[in-house]
Amino acid sequence: MAGLFKKVYDWLLRTFWATEMDVTMIGLQNAGKTSLLRVLSGGEFAIDSIPTVGFNMKRVQRGHVTLKCWDLGGQPRFRPMWERYCRNVNAIVFIVDIADLNLLPVAREELHALMNSPTLEGIPLLVLGNKSDLPDKLSMDELIDAMELKNISHREVSCYGISAKEETNLEAVLQWLMKFANR
Amino acid sequence: MSYGKKDEDADTGLVKIDRTQVFQEARLFNTSPIQPRRCRILLTKIALLLYTGEKFPTTEATTLFFGISKLFQNKDASLRQMVHLVIKELASSAEDIIMVTSTIMKDTGGSTDSIYRPNAIRALCRIIDATTVQSIERVMKTAIVDKNPSVSSSALVSSYHLLPIARDVVRRWQSETQEAAASTKSSGGFSLGFSSSSGNLPVNNSTMAQYHAIGLLYQMRMHDRMALVKMVQQFGVAGAMKNPAAIVMLVRLAAQLAEEDHQLRKPMMQLLDGWLRHKSEMVNFEAAKSICDMRDVSDAEVSQAVHVLQLFLSSPRAVTKFTALRILHNFASFKPHVVNVCNPDIELLISNSNRSIATFAITTLLKTGNEASVDRLMKQISGFMSEITDEFKITIVEAIRTLCLKFPSKQAGMLQFLSGILRDEGGYEFKRAVVESMFDLIKFVPDSKEEALAHLCEFIEDCEFTKLAVRILHLLGVEGPKTSQPTKYIRYIYNRVVLENAIVRAAAVTALAKFGVGQKDPEVKRSVDVLLTRCLDDVDDEVRDRAALNLRLMHEEDELATRFVKNDDMFALSAFEQQLVMYVTSDDRSAFDTAFDISKIPVVTREQADAEDRTKKLTASTPSLKPPKLGPSKAAPSAAEAAASASAAAQQYAQELMQIPEIKPFGHVLKSSPLVELTEAETEYVVAVVKHIFKEHIVLQYEVKNTLPATVLENVSVLATPSDDEELEDAFVIPAEKLGTDVPGKIYVAFRKVNGEGSLPVSTFSNILKFTSKEIDPTTNEPEDVGYDDEYEVSDFDLSGSDYVIPIFASNFAHVWEQVGAQGDEAEETLQLSGMKSIPEATEQLAKALSLQPLEGTDVPVNQTTHTLKLLGKTVSGGRVVANVRMAFSSKTGVTTKITVRSEEEGVAALVVGSVA
Ligand SMILES: Nc1nc2c(ncn2[C@@H]2O[C@H](COP(=O)(O)OP(=O)(O)O)[C@@H](O)[C@H]2O)c(=O)[nH]1
Ligand SMILES: [Mg+2]
Repeated sequence: MAGLFKKVYDWLLRTFWATEMDVTMIGLQNAGKTSLLRVLSGGEFAIDSIPTVGFNMKRVQRGHVTLKCWDLGGQPRFRPMWERYCRNVNAIVFIVDIADLNLLPVAREELHALMNSPTLEGIPLLVLGNKSDLPDKLSMDELIDAMELKNISHREVSCYGISAKEETNLEAVLQWLMKFANR
Repeated sequence: MSYGKKDEDADTGLVKIDRTQVFQEARLFNTSPIQPRRCRILLTKIALLLYTGEKFPTTEATTLFFGISKLFQNKDASLRQMVHLVIKELASSAEDIIMVTSTIMKDTGGSTDSIYRPNAIRALCRIIDATTVQSIERVMKTAIVDKNPSVSSSALVSSYHLLPIARDVVRRWQSETQEAAASTKSSGGFSLGFSSSSGNLPVNNSTMAQYHAIGLLYQMRMHDRMALVKMVQQFGVAGAMKNPAAIVMLVRLAAQLAEEDHQLRKPMMQLLDGWLRHKSEMVNFEAAKSICDMRDVSDAEVSQAVHVLQLFLSSPRAVTKFTALRILHNFASFKPHVVNVCNPDIELLISNSNRSIATFAITTLLKTGNEASVDRLMKQISGFMSEITDEFKITIVEAIRTLCLKFPSKQAGMLQFLSGILRDEGGYEFKRAVVESMFDLIKFVPDSKEEALAHLCEFIEDCEFTKLAVRILHLLGVEGPKTSQPTKYIRYIYNRVVLENAIVRAAAVTALAKFGVGQKDPEVKRSVDVLLTRCLDDVDDEVRDRAALNLRLMHEEDELATRFVKNDDMFALSAFEQQLVMYVTSDDRSAFDTAFDISKIPVVTREQADAEDRTKKLTASTPSLKPPKLGPSKAAPSAAEAAASASAAAQQYAQELMQIPEIKPFGHVLKSSPLVELTEAETEYVVAVVKHIFKEHIVLQYEVKNTLPATVLENVSVLATPSDDEELEDAFVIPAEKLGTDVPGKIYVAFRKVNGEGSLPVSTFSNILKFTSKEIDPTTNEPEDVGYDDEYEVSDFDLSGSDYVIPIFASNFAHVWEQVGAQGDEAEETLQLSGMKSIPEATEQLAKALSLQPLEGTDVPVNQTTHTLKLLGKTVSGGRVVANVRMAFSSKTGVTTKITVRSEEEGVAALVVGSVA
């Protein structure tokens, strides 16, 4: 009986208080965007993920909120298109592979270039340091410095360390995103 | 599919849809949550606009596209289907369309029978580019063998379109395609009786996927004859293919193979004969048509096909009768005696209520019948001429035109018929066909002349086609003065001056003048004078000018005036053409220093020209062999294209050579040979050579590629040694400084002709590549300081007579052959070419090796066992070279050929023969 009640309650919520929000996930290729989205939407983590051509869209359901997540390809040829897919979204998630130090300067430049575009003013930014399960990775403080996150102003910026593989800290990510559901 | 131009009828009867307004409405796509129904309607409007030829500018298309990409992955299956349909249409006009690849890919797969799967596959192939095809490989392979025919078909057709973009990738899908072709599945197995819920693919029992698979397989294997043969044999067995359209493809393929390779002739003909008895009419017809269309088909080979067509003539269905008859009609032009046997059946169709059938029945009988039946048939046609379209009328007129020449005694009846239909309604093409036929009668059947002229006079009284009126007036001017009553024509002609437009008036003035100049009868002459004088007041310049000129000519009355007006002699047109072609294609700039000399062109009388024309018309209408087949059967580039690309290459060489200071003083390149490979393609160093002929020099251009990884060659040169150094003297070598891995480089070796300008030295060259080889240090990526000197010997090649010859064109071979033979040199050689497996192959190779132009269509052999190839060219110094190559083929010895070459310059004939001996 309680089960049924819960179902009815959920249905009511979905129907009358349903909210959809758009979230764009960007970052260099191989950072783990597609893997993270798969895990967030309840799928299994897969080691052999093929590179995303263009973008990939999945819905993540949390109570009465549906997160429409846009996972964009990270190869250089797709980067010019990021801005277009970030316009008017509720939040931007930028994912960095914290075990691959060589790519950090490129990641930083791409992020700052994007943050400087006037069309994206004020959109909250969440930087995720992914692959925290690997050895030789950066700490969060080191990441904040490396990415020069302190220089990004006029918007809410946060930075978390996560692992898509071990599913660590994902709840915090969702919580953070949900804050912007009704804006 | 989108139409090239806006479809004007599209908006009649439909809601008026405006592009700008739709574009405004498209903001709907960005609203959240998505409203599937409203979005679908909007997408339908966009699709309608695109399908009817509306084009969105790039920025609008891109905005639309980004809007639509928000709709992906919706739960509503119909919305998803619409999204794919519209994305597919926008693919060509929007930017960044590649972005949706991954997303669309998701909709193509899955075990579901979702309605949108085929649409997703088709959209996917439109948005993909060559660099990303690889990423959809797995998806496509699975879709090709999908159990649902709709999915399989869409994947096969999409692969067909991808093939030109990414040949190598798509060709890896052969085994899947093969599987799809072989599968005789019908999907669904059994259905439980309830209709599939919306959003699922409807049950599809079509075998069309087989057709698509065969089409794709053919494209993949087009250049591999053995694979094609296997394909025909595997799928050609009874029952292997369920789809008739697929079998039709196989029929065409089998016919093509039978024609191209005489060893396949017999097995392929057997297959074709089998298909004549297939249970599908479509297949029967295609087989019969292919057999009839085959060049050099023998009477025995075609008899079965004609028999089958004959049976169809008595089918109750009009379309069947029509198809059979049309094939027979075409074939009757070439082998009337074979079609003869069907005459009784065709006879029954001449009064068929379907006029298209009746037309073909009559024209076929006109071709196959004898003189006795002509009158009866003509009467029959007259009965329904008014009921058929112009196209069929022309068919009839053409048939009669040939008959006139064949049976001149029937001219009265035919002329009456022609003049009758000339008065009927009809378009330009039809009227032109009738007028031309009458022209032929006047020219070739003297008895009909006066009457035919009278009909034409009457026709121009009320002729809406200026072009025809002008031609008829010209003819009246030529023929009228020779008749017994010239004044009759003068009246008709002058009527035109009064009533017509300026173009016709001008033609009429010129025609009138022909009655006046050289006129013996003073009465006639005076009236022409009066009439022309009136024309001096015409409002049109041209008319006035012509009148003035002709009056003057009439008053002078000298020999020149008469000759000018009568214009009885003319240039021999084929010789004229040939000389002009020689002149304009000359590679030597100095040729243009003097103007074209028209006095060298032979002059013939009008009679001579007409005689030639008549033979041509008679033989052209009853050829014993087929003209070369048109259509897509041959993938080889046409001779014209090949020539164009060769001349492009020559220009490129000439430009490069002019850039080299050492070579510049040599002057223009007179000829550059094709590239000759001196090594296999997979060797360490790949070497090829091009021979450039200059006035006093020969330059060998070696193209070298170093394929060894991590090595660099420095100071690369070639030691080229002619076998005979009496005629050639070393000039210099320009080495290549440095050749990295896989970077092609050029080396030039120059020789001087010892005997100067006119000499044509021939020789065999041995070639040794010399260079310093250095390894690349993997840490610095720089070549190491010291290397070692090395040599590499490559194959020998010949500098031969044909290297001095350039192909040229002429329309009449016999003429040139005699001309050159009269003054020049001849050489002959009989050769056994055991390596050649067929006459067509030998034809192609010999023309290439001799560097001469095939004339009179002899580059397309019609007979598989014997053939005569006629060739023409000129040397770099301008003398003509003609060759007559006779060949015979037998499966034991290959091709035996006797080559006879004539040249205007002494010694050249032997040199040219020597290039193949
Ligand atoms: N060890 C580890 N590997 C990860 C993690 N997330 C992703 N990967 C791997 O990183 C590679 C790239 O992942 P993918 O999701 O395709 O990256 P994307 O290009 O950003 O979409 C894959 O081989 C994943 O298995 C993680 O948290 N830990
Ligand atoms: Mg990805």
